Amino acid sequence: METMHASDARDHIEMVDRILTRSERSLRVGGEFFIVWGIFSAAVTLTAQLVVDRRIASGSLWVLPALLAVAIVVSAIRGGQLGKRKDGLSLIQREFFSVLWISLGLAAFTDVAAYRIFSTWASSAIWTVAAAIVLFFIAAHGNRKALACGIIMLGSLVAANFMPSYTGYALAAGMLFGYAGFGLISLIAHD
Amino acid sequence: MDELLLSKIRLGVIAELLNVDWVTFSDLQQATQTTHGNLGAHLAKLVEAGYLAEEKVFVNRRPQTRYRLTKTGRAAFVAHVRDMQRLLEKESAS
Repeated sequence: METMHASDARDHIEMVDRILTRSERSLRVGGEFFIVWGIFSAAVTLTAQLVVDRRIASGSLWVLPALLAVAIVVSAIRGGQLGKRKDGLSLIQREFFSVLWISLGLAAFTDVAAYRIFSTWASSAIWTVAAAIVLFFIAAHGNRKALACGIIMLGSLVAANFMPSYTGYALAAGMLFGYAGFGLISLIAHD
Repeated sequence: MDELLLSKIRLGVIAELLNVDWVTFSDLQQATQTTHGNLGAHLAKLVEAGYLAEEKVFVNRRPQTRYRLTKTGRAAFVAHVRDMQRLLEKESAS
């Protein structure tokens, strides 16, 4: 029967530690999803606010389905690319995509299925909370940029609550700077 | 100590698979920096012991062999690392 010396055990444990540290750190979020959906949700909220303020005609709302189509197409293409290398995704990466799609999916479902309960700003607020959950999940894995951006989103929610005349602007700013901003920072940093 | 995991390469393979689902042979070769034949022999032993599951799939019409850690492999890894830690504790105590 083979035995092991303490020096070998130390060497082996160090190697295992190096491998685990590398693989546990590998939560790569990519930036495209955040930019696309951050811009889309900010555009929806901003357009709604501009219509309420009578700064643009309600006929301008036609641009929103077009923006939604762009967001879906970009997400589908990017999702397809990631799906091809799904085998190599770490478990934490899979967990991240689950959190992403469950949070945003539930927000989208709530906004559509309960549109009478959660009208205009309430639906935007739900979207903000769902996006903040995604950012805080990333932050929980040691990403300080996500923490800062999540706080920006929650800050925009509180600001919107206390500025009834500017609710849409505040929420749109949170989506743009918090969500799309995080995507841009992640792309630049290659996270 | 788990005799199968006394090999640094086999232990490294298990550690590589701990946080991921399926990993291809070429990715493992890159991670462990071993030759094709050497890694193949080590992987065969781990599969035979039930520590790894092996699957052959086609990606873009090319055959690909990939591996996943089994529950048995995970338990063996945890027990082996615990044994190594005990050995180090014993050494530092003496």
